[in-house]
Amino acid sequence: MEAQPPVVTVRFNKFLPYWAVLRTDLRQTVRGWVYRLWVLMTAVAAGGFLVYRVGLHREAGLVQSAAAQCGDLFRLLVVGSMALVVVLAVSAVGAERGTVADSVLSRGISRHQYFLAKLHARLAAVVCTFAGLATLVLLAGYFLFRADAETDLSVAGGLVAVVGVCAVLAAVVSWGVTVGALTNGTVLGITVFWLVLYGAGFLLTLVPESYPSPDRELARLRFVLAGQYNPGLLWDVVIGSGVLCGLAAAVGLVGFARRDV
Amino acid sequence: MADGATELIVETQHLTKIYGNRQIALNDVSLTIEPGSVLGLLGPNGAGKTTFLRLVLGLHRPTAGWAKAFGRTMTPNSADLRRRIGYIPTNPQFPRGMTPITYLDYIARLFGLPADVRKPRLATLIRAVDLLPHSGDPIAHFTPGMTARLAVAASLINEPDLLIWDEPTHGLDIEARRSMLELIKTLAAEKTLILSSHNLTDVDEVCNHAAVLNKGQLIFHGSLQDLKGRIKKNHYELDLDGEQKAITRAVAALRALPDVKQVVLRQRRLDVKLGDDSPNTALLAQLFGILNDQKVTVISVRTVGVQTEQAYLELVEKEESRGFARLYRDAEAA
Repeated sequence: MEAQPPVVTVRFNKFLPYWAVLRTDLRQTVRGWVYRLWVLMTAVAAGGFLVYRVGLHREAGLVQSAAAQCGDLFRLLVVGSMALVVVLAVSAVGAERGTVADSVLSRGISRHQYFLAKLHARLAAVVCTFAGLATLVLLAGYFLFRADAETDLSVAGGLVAVVGVCAVLAAVVSWGVTVGALTNGTVLGITVFWLVLYGAGFLLTLVPESYPSPDRELARLRFVLAGQYNPGLLWDVVIGSGVLCGLAAAVGLVGFARRDV
Repeated sequence: MADGATELIVETQHLTKIYGNRQIALNDVSLTIEPGSVLGLLGPNGAGKTTFLRLVLGLHRPTAGWAKAFGRTMTPNSADLRRRIGYIPTNPQFPRGMTPITYLDYIARLFGLPADVRKPRLATLIRAVDLLPHSGDPIAHFTPGMTARLAVAASLINEPDLLIWDEPTHGLDIEARRSMLELIKTLAAEKTLILSSHNLTDVDEVCNHAAVLNKGQLIFHGSLQDLKGRIKKNHYELDLDGEQKAITRAVAALRALPDVKQVVLRQRRLDVKLGDDSPNTALLAQLFGILNDQKVTVISVRTVGVQTEQAYLELVEKEESRGFARLYRDAEAA
């Protein structure tokens, strides 16, 4: 007589689907052409800018404050990165809809877990990459313009600038992922988000100077890098971005769970 | 496994899906699927088969009505219900840069399977679907047959109670298709299956129930025998052996029978058509009696045409011709 096979009770790990999507998305993002293009363009632009400024500094003798030069570079990086960061964020959910998302969402994962995993993966990829690149740029600026950096560039100011910009980027990524999850096409989502982002940025330049605008805040980065910043303002930026991120996540969670994929 | 023998695996009531107030994909579909059924979901292109499957899986939200799986309403967040379902989409897509091992590991993680369960299972499945020599190759380089086998493995990794396979033999060569049908027959012994297919021969071979959709409406739901029973062609083909003179005499005797409409002899193949309203068992008994009297041996007997296909086509044609009478579904339709 054959022995009955033992009955094995599988204990499902409820968080494993979240981690699986998070890990896979991080890996896919880093291998994707948009991410590589972003990193490459940032590195080339930063390298070119620094070499040009060093050339001016050493050959032409044009001496400019290190904080001002790094502030200009930071501004260039943020404005340049924004376009590709939007593509990265919106395509997180949007690009998979109807294809890969089918074979993921038809398994044991809820919409909430999927959305959060995608959101967190893109947040981690963008914020960590930008923080890393920005730190490298600041270090390069510090060593290349060492002569006046000792009196000009401030470590605390650099940290504040990186944290502030990363907080703003986090809000942009959160809303980008949400827009991607709620629109029917990736191209449509990217176009809408670009228009909203750049349109709002342009409109804010028209309001009186007493109100903050992205352009004016970026122009002030040189002072922040030199250590002239208001810690309260940094907290306001971080908390404001946190609220925006939370709001985006809530809208995305509710909206995505009610949509067809 | 299913909680009880009477628990319905799938149940839908007035299931309706309208896309953006522009397209009615599914219209008031109510059906039940019992444990052990192998349901063939039939219908022309755009009939709503894939929409129905996606609603059952919770990938789409119904505009009206509901779909239940294992007795509970399916929603986009019903991860625990989907843990008991294995799904293969029409054209399975795989994340870039993955190999069968990494892909199956990923899918198993999506089901929340711990490492000590998922690793042995994925190894067994890769071996079972004959992908062992390619287990480390990128999926992007796979042939359609290999992709289909990998999709089968992915749909079985959670040891589901219900399998939903959308066109599983689509794009497969003869050998791969045969192998897929044999697998379905094996799985049918212990699981409930829903197969969406254009290929009625496949459905005829492996399914025991059928549901026919046409323009989003369910026009038939029942056993395959019921579907075939809707047409009564009484048309048979017999291959005979014996003396030619004896066969000719038998043909003459058959033609003399009152309820036999047509008897045609082509060499040793006999084509017999009985009257539509005649009880075929009595007539066939007479037919075999005559052949026996003439010492003619019967090599094979078969019904003419693929009955499921005929029944399906008749159903769709009938539905098309009903016009406004469609409003009165219960009176006329299946």
